[in-house]
Amino acid sequence: MKHSAADIIREYGPFPDVDDVAGVSFDGSHIWLATGDRLRALDPQSGEISRSLDVAAHAGTAFDGEHLFQIADAVIQKVDPKSGQVLATIPAPGAGGDSGLAWAEGSLWVGQHRGRKIHQVDPGTGKVLRTIESDRFVTGVTWVDGELWHGTWEDSRSDLRRIDPETGDVLERLDMPPGIGVSGLESDGGERFFCGGGSSGKVRAVRRARSGG
Amino acid sequence: MDSLIAAAARALSAGDPLAALKRIALRDDPPALALRGIAMAQLGDLVRARELLASAARAFGPKEPVARARCAVAGAEIALVTRDLGRSLQALNAARAVLEMSGDRRNAAHAGYLQARHLLLIGRLDEAQDVLDEFDADILPPASLVGRELVVAGIAIRRIRTEPAWSALERAKRAAEDVGIAALVAEVEQAVAAFGAPAARLVARDVERLLHLEEVEKLMTADTLIVDACRNVVRTGTKIVSLAARPVLLALIRALAEAWPEDVPRETLLKRAFGVRHADESHRARLRVEMARLRNAIRPLAELSATKRGFVLRPDTACRVVVLAPPIEDDHAQVLALLGDGEAWSSSALALALSVSPRTIQRALRELARDGKVEAFGRGRACRWIASRVPGFPTSLLLPAMGISS
Repeated sequence: MKHSAADIIREYGPFPDVDDVAGVSFDGSHIWLATGDRLRALDPQSGEISRSLDVAAHAGTAFDGEHLFQIADAVIQKVDPKSGQVLATIPAPGAGGDSGLAWAEGSLWVGQHRGRKIHQVDPGTGKVLRTIESDRFVTGVTWVDGELWHGTWEDSRSDLRRIDPETGDVLERLDMPPGIGVSGLESDGGERFFCGGGSSGKVRAVRRARSGG
Repeated sequence: MDSLIAAAARALSAGDPLAALKRIALRDDPPALALRGIAMAQLGDLVRARELLASAARAFGPKEPVARARCAVAGAEIALVTRDLGRSLQALNAARAVLEMSGDRRNAAHAGYLQARHLLLIGRLDEAQDVLDEFDADILPPASLVGRELVVAGIAIRRIRTEPAWSALERAKRAAEDVGIAALVAEVEQAVAAFGAPAARLVARDVERLLHLEEVEKLMTADTLIVDACRNVVRTGTKIVSLAARPVLLALIRALAEAWPEDVPRETLLKRAFGVRHADESHRARLRVEMARLRNAIRPLAELSATKRGFVLRPDTACRVVVLAPPIEDDHAQVLALLGDGEAWSSSALALALSVSPRTIQRALRELARDGKVEAFGRGRACRWIASRVPGFPTSLLLPAMGISS
């Protein structure tokens, strides 16, 4: 297993009226932040919030190329990013114990926080297709280059880890500094991860070293 | 934090416990237990709240010390509200250290604010101020900011500094309105009303009237010798002599001050100090001893001169002499002053706050209960005391204040 300290390359925020970042997503130009009662779009260049949508947003966020998916209470909402309208909802697999959401290969991947699980879910029906076990509390999920990464946060320790989607084995680990937590994880498809900072109200960019491909 | 926990936590910090419970009422995982505990506390069921927080702390276990410390802080807040003062301070110290180490500055600051509140309640003003100075007010959650300003106001009131007390109360009021939690607004209003009530009664030979704290403060800067029967001190300006442990001397100088500039006959002094009707030679001897003691004690401020029929007080620099008495004279006014906050106190907490023995407090409470001024409920360790309605009972000058000379 590769194991190193996370290299934080930029910090965004805290932002006015944001006291909690509960999930992050990237639509190619903006980072979307789940901030409780709103989804907010952050410009990763300027570091400014440029838009916000009136959508309940209590945990993970994902983007499928067209729609945003957002966990609120015990459901996953499908949201039109232009209007902010909720187009559909499906039950969340952890019945509200969910934290972390990603889109990949036509499925939603949902972290179940204290359940220490990641569920692959049919985005149309909410049916659980399979479940991967982790040994840490899951607080963010993302896919990049065919790699499954998730954030963990137990008490004051937090890390990003790449796991084997078949076995759940940990393949690589990036430790966050003590006292800095990860709530929400998204890759920009390139060399950055975006990490939600929970009640710090911040978002952090962490360098991702591309595996030899 | 998972989705429902995040939603419930948001509802709680907005002061909507029912919306929080709707989401987590059926969950028994440790974060849900903790939030249910806080929700029950907000709804006023403190017994259930304490149980839930304790079981949450147990369920978090040693592997999640930060989460457990947050439960301890919430538990300490409940202990403070229920005036269970003995236990909460230690728990707070430990929890605050854990939170600070883990980088949870917000909750560490909240724990600090609670420590300050606790220290204020038991009259340790300097320590309360030190704790407040240790962290920035801006890190605090908005709702605890209101409480912080009330602590600042409380310290100023007990130090008899009107201006800073007013501005802290103003800030508390604005903060409470910003947060929009009705219970907080009401708490601030109560504090403002208590502050506005008369704080003391001025007694001199030719006048007797009620004073507000502001007037008391003015009096203290003036060239006046004050026999303060609320705080049991004698003072001129910043020079202070404490007679707290010497009730006989206090009674004597109070009698002398009330008559000033006239002298006081020996018979009157005997009656005031020892409560005797017919003085004999042994009483006279005792009076001589006590007057000598008083002369020594107040030497920095005033002289005592013997006259034909008794004694007269001669202040050194001050050009007048007044007595500050509690607005309502009562044998146990300080106990009533503490109970005047409307909370239910345990007798051990009252003893701690007033630095007297539990036995003394129990005797005082029994007497007050016999006169219908206080009521008890609960039994044994759970027994709590509240003031029967004493309308407008003013508290400011009777509340404990250590280090008032500063």
